[in-house]
Amino acid sequence: MERNIEALLDLCIEEMKRGKSLEACLANYPEHADQLAPLLRLAQEIDNLPLPVALPEAMSATLFNLGTRFGVSERKKGALALSRVLQARRSWAFGAVSFLLILLFGGATISTKSIPGDILYPAKLATEKVVFFFSFNAEEKVELRLRFSYERLKEMVQIFEQSGTLDKELLKSMLDEAKLALEHGNQLSGLQASLFQVKFNHANAYQKESLEHIRIAVPPSELKTVDRAIEVCTNRMQWMMKRMKEGRHVPWTRGCDMW
Amino acid sequence: MTIRKRELAEDEVHELLRKFKDGDITAFTKLYEHLYPKVYAYVYYRVNSVQDAEDLTSDVFIKAIENLREQKGSFDAWIFRIACNRVIDHYRRRSVRQNPLNVEDKNLGSEDFDAIMEGHFFQQEFKQALTQLTHDQQEVIILKLVEGYKTDEIAAMLDKSVEAIRALQFRALSTLRTLLDAKRGEKRKR
Repeated sequence: MERNIEALLDLCIEEMKRGKSLEACLANYPEHADQLAPLLRLAQEIDNLPLPVALPEAMSATLFNLGTRFGVSERKKGALALSRVLQARRSWAFGAVSFLLILLFGGATISTKSIPGDILYPAKLATEKVVFFFSFNAEEKVELRLRFSYERLKEMVQIFEQSGTLDKELLKSMLDEAKLALEHGNQLSGLQASLFQVKFNHANAYQKESLEHIRIAVPPSELKTVDRAIEVCTNRMQWMMKRMKEGRHVPWTRGCDMW
Repeated sequence: MTIRKRELAEDEVHELLRKFKDGDITAFTKLYEHLYPKVYAYVYYRVNSVQDAEDLTSDVFIKAIENLREQKGSFDAWIFRIACNRVIDHYRRRSVRQNPLNVEDKNLGSEDFDAIMEGHFFQQEFKQALTQLTHDQQEVIILKLVEGYKTDEIAAMLDKSVEAIRALQFRALSTLRTLLDAKRGEKRKR
């Protein structure tokens, strides 16, 4: 009997998934309706839950991890040794410059959360430049450019939330950094190039979505600027999608832009 | 009840996989877009925090790419097996007890606020109640009602008979119902 009810429950769930109503399912098995009804209602409730949404940043981070792994495994031993030396050099340089900046700014921690107008903001930009200077391959440069673009977006949104004003400089920087990421992406090949394409599209979609949210609250005088930026993001997405469909990597062309 | 969206059919997944294994790397991007949300949803319901879910999902893909040459049979079954093992490792390594209270608003997909809040509370309760089930029961409920797989597909994935999956499903839903009813009873008393 118990075995029977297990099969009936499963049958009803499958039928409901195909569009049959709970009541219609129960009507087929009136002798088990009392036992089945609460379980089917619960199954329905669980099935109706929204799926947890994966954040674009998390998808991008995973892609970057994959890219890094693949990049390393594809390199030759000699290149790996060189990479280690360069990594060490970069770490040393980053440490030294950070130390100098900390001295310059009176021992305060260089805040990655600072925004334009904060005393530490110039230090944040300087650190970004140093880190970029000591990046040695297109893969790292692409990653950094996308990260900087994301930082500018974050800063712009923060300022907008605090003061209701649109910082056009940050908006322009956000788009410029993404454009530079595209240019560095041109040097990637194979899997790296494909990973970059997906990652760039996620970043671009996220920027577009954020701008669309800002657009709702922006003063009418700023609408044109926001619309133009949204258009740039849309063009870039369409352009990149076209490239991906053609199965080509990212060669930078004039057809793409923009601001 | 609706059928969960399955953007790519199994044969399409296999075709993309074949192309990817043959060196067509653009096939990977399609596979990734298709698989990431599925794996993430699975892991999300099995661990405490969004951060852990993101980290483990990342691990699953690294592991999958590393072992791609060894993949045979159903790709979905294979990748969920990797995800399942990563979740088990996660709890084993950290000796963490499941206490999934950290469900963050940003993970809800609906746009309607009331629906979001209603769904959010139920999602929290459901996630918490899931931890009281056995490992196999959790897997069956997530694969069937969250991921939308059919019973025979789950049986193949978990290497069990259809009857065993039905039994697990029945017991899991009965336990969940008891736990969630008790929770709702407590709420009404307050």
